[in-house]
Order: sequence, then C-alpha cells, then structure tokens
Amino acid sequence: MNMAHAQHNTIIAAQGLGKRVDTAAGPLDILADIDLAVDAGETVAIAGVSGSGKSTLLGLLAGLDLPSAGDVWLAGQRLNALDEDGRARVRGQQVGFVFQSFQLLPSLTALENVMLPLELAGEADARKLAAQRLERVGLATRLDHYPKQLSGGEQQRVAIARAYAMQPAILFADEPTGNLDNATGKRIIDLLFELNREHRTTLVLVTHDEKLASRCTRRIQLEGGRIAAAATPA
Amino acid sequence: MTFAGRWTLALRLLARDWRAGELRILVAALLIAVAASTTIGFFTDRLGRGMLNQSAEFLGADLVLESPRPVDPGWLTQAREHELRSAATLQFASVVVSGERLQLASVKAVDDSFPLRGSLRTAPQAFAQGQVTGDTPARGEAWAATQLLQQLEIDVGARVTVGDLSLQITRVLTFEPGRSGGVFGLSPRLMMNLADVPATGVVQPGSRLTYHYLFAGAEATINGYRQWLQARLEPSHELLGVREGRRAVGTALQRAERFLGLSVLAAIVLSGVAIAMAARRYSERHFDMSAMLRCLGASQRDVLGLYLPQLLVIGVLASLAGSLFGWLAQYGLLYLLDDVLPVAPSGTRLWPVLAGLATGLVTLAGFALPPVMRLRRVSPLRVLRRELAPLPGRAWLVYGAAIGAVLVLMWRYTGNAALMLSVLAGAVAAVAALGVLGFALLMVARRLHARVGVAWRFGLNNLWRRRAGSVSQILAFGLTLMAMAVIALVRSELLENWQSQLPQDAPNHFLINILPDKVEGVSAFLQEKGIATSQLYPMVRGRLVTLNGQPVREAVSKEEPRDNALNRELNLSWSTRLQEDNRIVEGRWWRAGDTGRPLVSVESQLAQRLGIELGDVLGFSLGGATLSATVVSIRSVQWDSFRPNFYMLFPPGVIDAFPATWMTSFYLPASESALLMELVREYPALTVLDLDLLIQQVERIFRQVTLAVEYVLVFVLLAGFAVLFAALQSSLDERLYEGALLRALGGSRRQLRAGHLAEFAALGLLAGLVAAAGTECLAWLLYTRVMDLDYSFQWQVWIAVPLAGALLTGIAGYRGTRPVLERSPMVLLRER
Ligand SMILES: Nc1ncnc2c1ncn2[C@@H]1O[C@H](COP(=O)(O)OP(=O)(O)OP(=O)(O)O)[C@@H](O)[C@H]1O
Ligand SMILES: [Mg+2]
Repeated sequence: MNMAHAQHNTIIAAQGLGKRVDTAAGPLDILADIDLAVDAGETVAIAGVSGSGKSTLLGLLAGLDLPSAGDVWLAGQRLNALDEDGRARVRGQQVGFVFQSFQLLPSLTALENVMLPLELAGEADARKLAAQRLERVGLATRLDHYPKQLSGGEQQRVAIARAYAMQPAILFADEPTGNLDNATGKRIIDLLFELNREHRTTLVLVTHDEKLASRCTRRIQLEGGRIAAAATPA
Repeated sequence: MTFAGRWTLALRLLARDWRAGELRILVAALLIAVAASTTIGFFTDRLGRGMLNQSAEFLGADLVLESPRPVDPGWLTQAREHELRSAATLQFASVVVSGERLQLASVKAVDDSFPLRGSLRTAPQAFAQGQVTGDTPARGEAWAATQLLQQLEIDVGARVTVGDLSLQITRVLTFEPGRSGGVFGLSPRLMMNLADVPATGVVQPGSRLTYHYLFAGAEATINGYRQWLQARLEPSHELLGVREGRRAVGTALQRAERFLGLSVLAAIVLSGVAIAMAARRYSERHFDMSAMLRCLGASQRDVLGLYLPQLLVIGVLASLAGSLFGWLAQYGLLYLLDDVLPVAPSGTRLWPVLAGLATGLVTLAGFALPPVMRLRRVSPLRVLRRELAPLPGRAWLVYGAAIGAVLVLMWRYTGNAALMLSVLAGAVAAVAALGVLGFALLMVARRLHARVGVAWRFGLNNLWRRRAGSVSQILAFGLTLMAMAVIALVRSELLENWQSQLPQDAPNHFLINILPDKVEGVSAFLQEKGIATSQLYPMVRGRLVTLNGQPVREAVSKEEPRDNALNRELNLSWSTRLQEDNRIVEGRWWRAGDTGRPLVSVESQLAQRLGIELGDVLGFSLGGATLSATVVSIRSVQWDSFRPNFYMLFPPGVIDAFPATWMTSFYLPASESALLMELVREYPALTVLDLDLLIQQVERIFRQVTLAVEYVLVFVLLAGFAVLFAALQSSLDERLYEGALLRALGGSRRQLRAGHLAEFAALGLLAGLVAAAGTECLAWLLYTRVMDLDYSFQWQVWIAVPLAGALLTGIAGYRGTRPVLERSPMVLLRER
C-alpha cells in the first residue's frame, strides 16, 4: 500500500471493506468487498439508489465508523489500527464534513459553530480564523446569527466554512444539496468546488444528483452494498 | 375521536412510551415526592400521636375539666355514653396534723380509676426511687410527698389527721400525672381516697375546692366530647387537653412538626422541579407525535384528550406506588426505631395514603401540566419543518400552576396561612434574586474563560451557550443544595441548641416558696454545699384584670375567650438584669431611672395571644390591691430551658412592696438527693420540685425529632438527585448529538470528558454559591421566624456548599454524560 501511496499519491484507500450489522432477521451485509483508492486532489462522487450503502461507505472512509471486514487507510494512517481517539485526531487534522442536514449546533452562532473545530484543536486564534472562513463563504455579515435565523443555503455555507476551518486534506460531503432547492444547491456545489481548487482538497461526496456526479473526476456506483462498475474515471 | 376511543389510544401510547423508557424520570420524581410525603406523613402522624400519648400520660388523661364545684352529672353521663372512660379527683388545701406538728398540704382525693393515662409512682420511704404503681390509696390510707413527711418530721407508717379523719401514711408519692403540668404547686401533696372525703368534714360550703374530671378515649370521641363540653362551660370551668397541657413539650413538638413539615415541602418542591424538567423533556419528545396527529386530522382537543389521560394515569399509578412505598417504609422505620418511638395508641391510619395520592396529583398538575399543555399547540407544519416548536407556555401559567401547587401543599404541610404566604413571597423573591445571581455568576465565569485551559474554556462556553438552561439548572441545583444545607444546618443547630440548653447540669430542681427572710440562709446553704443555682427571683402572685382600662376578658373575648393566663394567678417578678435565655423582641429593657416606674415587660407568646402591644396599659390585681403598668417591652422566653421564667417582669421598686416569695433552680445529681432532705429539714416552708421526669421526656422528644429529621434528609437528598438526574436527562439528547458532532470534528474523548467535567463542576460551583446565599437568607428566616432561635452568620456554608455542589454535580454529570462518549458519530449521517 505504501507503494501505491508513493506512486499515485493515494490519500484514501480501502481493501476488502465490508460492514455487517445484526438485525432481528440475522446478520446483514450492508456493504461488502469494497476496494478503492482515491488520489490527493481528486473529486469522487459516490452514487447509487437509496439504501445502497453510500452513507455507510462514507462513514467508514472518514473513520466515523469501523468496518467489520477489510481495511481503510486515510492520509497514510490505517484507521482500524487506531482507537476512537486516534481516529478523532485524524479527523480533526485531515478531514472536513458537510452533511445533508447541515448539523449546526442550534445553540451556537454561525461564528461559534465554525470556531468549534479550531477550539478543539486548541487553535489560539479561533475567533479570527473562523471569521475569515465565514467571510470566504460570503457570510461576513451573519457571524452572530443563530442557525435558526439563517436560510438552508446559508446554513450549509456555514457548514462548509466549518468544514474548511482546519484546512483539511479531505472533505467528505453526504448529499450536501439534498435539503436545498436547485439554484441554491448549484451555488453550494460551486462553492465546494472552488474551495476544493483553492485548497487542493480531496473531495468525496455522496449524491443522487447526476449533474453533480458528472462534475467529479470519478464516480463510484454502489448497488446493494457493492461497487457496481469499477471506479471509472469520468 | 370518541371519548372511549381516545382513552384506549391514550393508554396504548402510554404503554409504548413506558416500554421505550420515556417516562422513567417523570415517574421516579413523582414517586419520590409521594413516597417522601407519605413516609413522613405516616411518621409524623405516628410520632405526633405518640407524643400526645406521652403528654396524656403526664396529664393523666386525654382531657381534664377543672371546676370549683361538682359539675352537672349529665355531663358525665354524656361522657359514658360517648364510651369515654372517666375519673374524678377533688383537690383542696387542708392542714395536715401529726402529733404536735401541723402543715398546710394540698390534698388530692382520687377515685379508683385515677389516673386514666400514665401512672402514679410511689416509694416505700422518703427519697427512695419511685416505682410505677397501678393502685390508688385505699380507704383509710394516704400517700404523702416527701416534703410533707419532712415537714411533719414523720415517716411512712405514721398516722396523720385531715379534718376529722385519721389516715395512715402507707407510701411516699413521688410522681403524679397532672402535677408537673403546673410547676408551681405550692404546698406538698397528700393523696387520699375520694370516698374518705365526707368523713374529713373539710368540704363545707365556701371551701376552696377544685374538682378535676378526667376523660380518656379515642381521639375523635374526645374531640367530639370536647366540643360538646365547650358549648356548655361556665367561666369558672377550665378545659385542659394534651396540647395545651405542657408547655416545654408542646414547644418542642410544635417546632418539630413545623420543621418536618417544611422539610417534606422541600422534598416535594424539589421533586416538583424534577417533574417539571422531566415533563418538559417528555413534552418536547412528543412534539413530532402531536404534529403527526394534527396532520392526520386530530384537533387540538383530541391531542389534549390523548395526553391528559396519560398524565392522569401516570399520576394515579405513581402516587399509589409512592404511597405504598411510604407505607412500607414507615413499617421499616417503626421496626428500626422501636425503642425510641413513643407508643402510639393504635396502629397506622390510612389517611396518609390518600394525602399521598393528593400530593402526587397536585404536584403533577402544578409542575407537569403546563409543559404537557404545550403539546396541544404544536403546529402540524412541523412535519415539514422540524424546527417549528410551539410557543413556550405562558409564564404566568407555568409559574402560576407551580406556585398554586406549592401553596396547596404548604397549607397542607404547615397549616399556617401567614407563614405560608410569607414563605411563598420570600421564595418567589428569592428565586428571582437567585436567578439573577446565577446569571451574574455565569457572566463572571464567562469573563474568566479566556484565562483557563481548553477543557474549562469549553465547559464554561457550553454553560454560556445554553445560558437560559444553565441559569435554570443553577437555580434548580442551587435550590436543591440550599434545601439540603438548610436542613442539615437546622438539624445540627436544633440539636446543639437543645443540647446546650440542656447541658449535663441543666436545672432539675426548682426551689420555690422561699420566704424573704430565708433568702439569704437558703443561698448560703446552697453555696456551702457547692450547688450552683440560677439567680434567685422574687415571685408575687397576681392576676391580669384590665387591658387599656377594659376588663381583660372582654378585651380578648373574641380570639381567646378562655386563655389560661386569665384564669390563673400569674407569677409576677422583677429583675434588673435580663435573663440569659430571654430576648427582647420589641421595645426596650429597663434603663437607668426606670426603677420604681410602673412599667412591665410581657412574654411574647402571651402578648400575641392577648393582643398586647407596646404602650398598652395592663391592670393587675395583687391580693386586694391593683396596679397599672405600661408595656415597654415584649420578651421571648425559652420555656424549655428549665430556668425560672415569668410572663410579666417589672423593674425593681414596683411590686417589691407586695408579699413575695422567692424561687430558684439548680442541678442536683440523683446521688446527692440526701441534701434535699437536709435543706427541707432546715427550711420546712420550702417546696422542692423535682423535674427529672419532665426533662427526660423532653430529651426523648429531641431524640425522636432528630431521628425524624435525619429521615427527612434522606428524602430531600433523593429528591435532589432526581433533580440532578432530570436535568442531566433533559440535556442528554442535545449532548449526545453535540458529542457526536464534536467527535466528527476531531474532538477526543478526553477533551469531551474534561469539557463535561469542567462544565458540571462549574455548574455545581455556581449553584453552590447561589445556594450558600439562599441558605443564609432562608436559615435566618427560619430561625428567627419559625423556630424562635437566634441566628448567626454561617461562613462554613460558603465553603462547604459550593464544594459539595461542584463535587456532586461534577461526578453526576461526568457519569451521566458517559453515553455521549459511546455514541457513534455515524448518527450524523443517519439522523435527519
Ligand atoms: N445499524 C444498521 N442496522 C441495520 N441496517 C442498517 C444500519 N445502518 C444502515 N443500515 C441499512 O444499510 C443500508 C444502507 O444504508 P445507507 O444509509 O448507507 O444508505 P444510503 O445509500 O446512504 O441511502 P440514502 O440515499 O437513502 O441515504 C440501508 O438499507 C440501511 O437500512
Ligand atoms: Mg445516505
């Protein structure tokens, strides 16, 4: 794997990845035999019908969850070898998240939401940096607003500012436009790709949206928890 | 929806919620409230009845009617028809003769059934230990008090003459129920058989006689008979029940009851807070359900019709379970405290169960109804826009309901409207003030946050972010800590106070009837024998006859038509110095120059009963003479201190001219009782009163009360934990979500844990500070207004309570938020 890493500058890799959950009707494989590698700077779309395992895969790649089979490497670290805090550290340093339902803390202002990852990392200038990030997403005037006071698109922009707060190497986005109308969704996507270029971030996003998927350099199609077509370059 | 349909659905929904564990805290808090109130209810009921029983033993009956003449025989028939037991005694002063010597004695002639409660104690010879006896003097025999034997210089076996009748002294009378009620009986006792009285020939028209009719029976019957009698009493009659029977015991019991009542109230209010918190969470977790119901066509009425029955069922079931628990706990308690508790007349009664049920429902209605009512107003639009929450309940409704509930409960547990209102007003003001204080402290903490480590910054930030919630939690924990601190404080204070009041050498003997010319001799005698005495006080017998020129009976006829102080002669005294255990509550003590001026200082309880105020002019009759004096001070007196105390005190030079006798009190260990014999032999006119039995009883009551208080403390603690638990639970959903998010953003468990610890410790610390402030105020109020005790600033509270708060909430929060660390951050990808 180090070889692959060196050759292609691979930043995310999965081998024989599987996730099995116990249900009332017995064990169920919701993800199986996933092999993939993502190079730094790539933009990858994970597509598939609802229930095909997209979010599950994203969670495993980002180290939010542990696989029941196989391995995941993220930024050169084998995630299964790390404990929860080790994985948290990797996430804090290397990974940003954008969620379909924004996941902003309602009790915090926009600024405070963006400050969170900076504070967690012990960043001294959290407030200043967070303000800069918000300015970058066009919310300079909304710093002290609470999520409730912001529209869905604005909330998602706060979430993006938060995701970029620590200048992560990789950004994971789970249906970032799922809760937004088309026009707003498009603007959010534009913003994501802009930032991706500026920061040379690797972007992994889950989407139903054909147009969005087609803007990515690569697309991984899931069907019933397996990769249907080999990871095809777009 | 039909009524029945709604109920079926409501019950089904309730069963589902129960299965899903949604109701645990609500039910637990309610259980604690009800269990606390019923256990204590049972317990105090038992204790109270036991103490009354003890008092009855000292009175010799449950009810005593005193009359200067035989009463209408119909009254006694009526008592028999009520199935009351009765006994009669006749008391008169008579000279008892033995050979050459005569002595004025207080003769009591008793029938065979005397006493109805408690027992006589007799000894075979003077100064020997008395033994309980079931007998009364047989015909032709008499029992005499030691003093009488001393004064007549005779022993058991001698014969004495009362009027025309010769009686043989067969025993020494050491204790007699009813006798200790009036500590200042003057002449020594001779007890004889009632049937022998006619033969003495001393009962003539015009003789000063006191008939006592004693009654005993079930409490309800006694009360009924008492009312029946009261309507027929003549001015010369006096009724004496167990409550007014004994002052020292009465005060202790009253304090205990008040304190226990307030403690139960604290437990209930705390549980109420927990219930309110739990109900709020319950309500919030049912927003979606209500929105969906509305969406599916349910009206607001239907929604209420679904949730109110659930609340009612929860209330009834939890209250019944709580009552049952209280009932069982009480049996456990009775078993454990078997040897300390006074014997109660009969088994337990059922009313505490009903009271528990009522308490549960009232608490639930006051604290849980408003948040649940909110469910009605959930917009159906919430199905589409989840962030839509109904407006919070109107403040007046929420607090009004809670205050209403507290009022009802307070009335039930203290039964004192004035106290209730002042406590309530104080509580509302205090809660507001403490809330402001909590907020201010929070702001100070926020200022500090730049100077502390990441974890603390995080914790403090968290508190600030949820500031509305934080303030109410600070308040809730603060009130909890305050309740516990106050109870702990009052408990130890009561104990210390009583114990210091009754040190090892608390006076156990009163010396009365010291004639003026013997004062010096007696003092010298006592000093010589190394017996420390209280000051010697002069005592003049007098009657209060007018109040501001009006006959005092008319002046007070409305409120207290039959106050004992008006029927009896009062002991008046004068003094230059204020006694140690007296306190001026109004007005001033004598100044230089008051000597000889007609001024008077009145005991505060009597002043209150008779409506005497500063500046009033009191008219006294002393022997044949009259005397008017202006009230310049109202004085509180500790009647249970066993020191000489007086209702009326004059400055020197006012009543000095009237015939006085002197009195004092001192401690004498039982082993030295021979000294008494010597004393009485040297000064035959003296009367010695032995208070040991009385003191023992008061001590026993202290022990019982202490136990009860400790028991209540357990419930207050439990209620406090319920609050803590409910508060944690109410923010747990939010924390779980936040924790997952923070972990996704790279936060480590250690950071989260440290953050939680810091947050809760800070919360506890702030709550502790708030509690300390509240404790000082509340304790001061309680001490001075409710318990009639002095209060001094308690600096320890400011250290102990915040520390305890930080520790308790820190640990509880740390442990309670553990699920936050276990929750997989994957929820962020799953929950929409
Ligand atoms: N803990 C679990 N227990 C049981 N089944 C699970 C669990 N987690 C996920 N699943 C199932 O695994 C499948 C894949 O879920 P996943 O959320 O990854 O789908 P998805 O592709 O993201 O769908 P969508 O587009 O609707 O978000 C689903 O059928 C889901 O019900
Ligand atoms: Mg999904």
